[in-house]
Amino acid sequence: MRAILDIAWNELRILFSDKGIWLNLVILPILISVAVGFANGGGASSSTEGPRLVVDVIDADNSTLSQQFLADVRAANARVLLCPIDNDEADACGMGETALLPEVAQNRLEDEASLALIEIPAGFGESVLSGQQATVLYRSNEDITAPQYILQAVQVAAQRAGGAQAAVSVANEVASDLSILEFSDEADHATFEQGVREEAQALWASDPITVEYVLASVEPQAEGTGNAGFQQSIPGIGSMYVLFTVLPLAAMMIRERKQWTLQRLVTMPLSRGQILGGKLLARFVMGMIQYGVMFGFGLALGIRYGNDPFALILLMVVFTLCVTSLALAVTTLLKTEPQADGITLFMSLTLAPLGGAWWPLDIVPEWMRVIGHISPIAWVMDGFHSLIFFNGNLGTIIVPILVLLAMGAAFFAFGVARFRFE
Amino acid sequence: MHQNMVEVRDLSKTFKRSNGEMLDAVKNVSFDIRQGEIFSLLGPNGAGKTTTISMISGLLTPTHGDATIGGHSITRQPLEAKKLLGVVPQEIALYPTLSARQNLEFFGKMYGLSGAALSKRADEVLEFIDLKDRQHDKIESFSGGMKRRVNIGVGLLHQPRLIYMDEPTVGIDPQSRRRILDTVKQMQTEMGMTVLYTSHLMEEVQEISDRVGIIDHGELIAVGTVGDLIQKVGEEDRLILKVGSQVVSELLLTRFRHEVEGVTGATHEQAHSNGSDGSATQPDGLIIVIARRGRRALPDLIRVANDSGLDIVSVEVREPDLEAVFLHLTGRELRD
Repeated sequence: MRAILDIAWNELRILFSDKGIWLNLVILPILISVAVGFANGGGASSSTEGPRLVVDVIDADNSTLSQQFLADVRAANARVLLCPIDNDEADACGMGETALLPEVAQNRLEDEASLALIEIPAGFGESVLSGQQATVLYRSNEDITAPQYILQAVQVAAQRAGGAQAAVSVANEVASDLSILEFSDEADHATFEQGVREEAQALWASDPITVEYVLASVEPQAEGTGNAGFQQSIPGIGSMYVLFTVLPLAAMMIRERKQWTLQRLVTMPLSRGQILGGKLLARFVMGMIQYGVMFGFGLALGIRYGNDPFALILLMVVFTLCVTSLALAVTTLLKTEPQADGITLFMSLTLAPLGGAWWPLDIVPEWMRVIGHISPIAWVMDGFHSLIFFNGNLGTIIVPILVLLAMGAAFFAFGVARFRFE
Repeated sequence: MHQNMVEVRDLSKTFKRSNGEMLDAVKNVSFDIRQGEIFSLLGPNGAGKTTTISMISGLLTPTHGDATIGGHSITRQPLEAKKLLGVVPQEIALYPTLSARQNLEFFGKMYGLSGAALSKRADEVLEFIDLKDRQHDKIESFSGGMKRRVNIGVGLLHQPRLIYMDEPTVGIDPQSRRRILDTVKQMQTEMGMTVLYTSHLMEEVQEISDRVGIIDHGELIAVGTVGDLIQKVGEEDRLILKVGSQVVSELLLTRFRHEVEGVTGATHEQAHSNGSDGSATQPDGLIIVIARRGRRALPDLIRVANDSGLDIVSVEVREPDLEAVFLHLTGRELRD
């Protein structure tokens, strides 16, 4: 073991004797992770206290149902700020004392003072109650290529209103067909319908079926876990740079063979396992240092990585082991340093985007997601997403860990079987 | 204590070429190296010297046969055998971005040295190779000769009983070469080491070796002291007559053999040399005559040549040496 440590230490000393290493180990990966972090929505906070979605409302109906509709919009997205109804002392709506007339609302929309305008026409409540078609006008300047959160909220509210009225109609028909209820007068009937509507609304509110969703690029989830863009870019670019740091084992082995230092070690009283172990250990340590640099930088930015640091570190260890074994396997297929440099660059720049290091695989087509899992990066990113975005733990990343271990074992067996010292 | 430091028995190595053919690089080589002697393996490039030594030093696994170092088999007790062996490869097997001292200390650790003993040994070796004042300089800043000396120093770190040096004078200036040859003699006389030396340079092998093994096409064709080997070709000299582009008839060679006293052989070789303007090549014919007491035969050789209308451009008389031995044994020159 002593010889393995000595060989690894010597390798690290040689690597760090090159001043240029700081460029590749620290400066470039950090710069790239910042750029990719912003590209992935960095700067957008994941907490519900983030920027409000300003939506102007002209409620010409001003009925109980129109107010219920607006309450449903609020409930559907906590970030929606209905103006001027929900304006606060700090004038979050940015409209001062100005009355929200249709022309004003239109100008605000064009000036992007508001993101959307909801117009509820007079008679909206009456139309709903009478079972007639009711219309709400929605105008928006949201980017059609971006997730349309406000429209989704309005649609949710419309579905709830329509659903509640549908419940009333069904109740009326059932009561009429079965003659199980008799109403003394119109007021009595109206009370019944109001009761059904409120019950339906209450059921909507309790959300008997819920779908939890996460848009990793911009939409966060766990409480106070920081910035989603950097939560993607730090592990993603970090993993890519682990490839950049570890795969050059191939070039280094070829260089050592060429300068005969590898053969000299073989002529010394050492086993071949000790020599190979020392070389691989050095590259493994370099990979872990790379992760340390990247995740350390993220911590300095205030990025949080979930609640299970042990699982996080274990995931890094397993991925780095896998990449170290991959580097050994690749070494056996190459003969010259230029070949090794080219293949290292090619593999890093192919496996990284394929595996979701630059952007989340959630946004790529299903078939690409399947192909992407050829790359070890896809598996380690699955693990990171589980830990960071969903507050996962060791149990939730067991599959990525087992797959990475299996890949690593296969690469290692191939590499050891084919490696030649002379 | 073994009388022989190294015993090589039927060592063979077969490689598979990329086209699938098998190449017998070393064929059933056997020899012994006695304690404290300088034993040289002599042969042209590609003869099998390095392959033989690579097997003895544990770098290559023999296809067949075995060797022992200090009684330890290289195939069954490789670590024990390697502890007794110091290796000085032909290549500068050092880390160029580390200093001389860092290289020595790292390889010293690999030989099992540590702590104060390692530091002391590094100092001694730096002293021996005369690089103490440059010990903290990076290898990449050294001259070729200085790198060679550090390369040798690494092999001496653990005070091995056997040191193997593979063409240690390749590519260096005459002054550094002289220094290395002196170092080899010092290792034998002052440190009591056994030295296994390989070279394709006949002159240095002849100068330093107690015994020589001549290897060609993977086979050991002769072993003995320099004197023993020269005895194999007798006391005959070689006379090399340059005749330029003139035609040499077989009749002339026959006349040399029959009419000149002491001549036992005569051959004609056609070589090419650069023209005087350096751009073209000119035919450069040589007549090689083997003769007892060659200098005495020289006047008659010139007379017979003149009678045949051949002008001798120049004459060189070579006394018997290892080059002649190799030529005698293989029919080829060592530098072919």
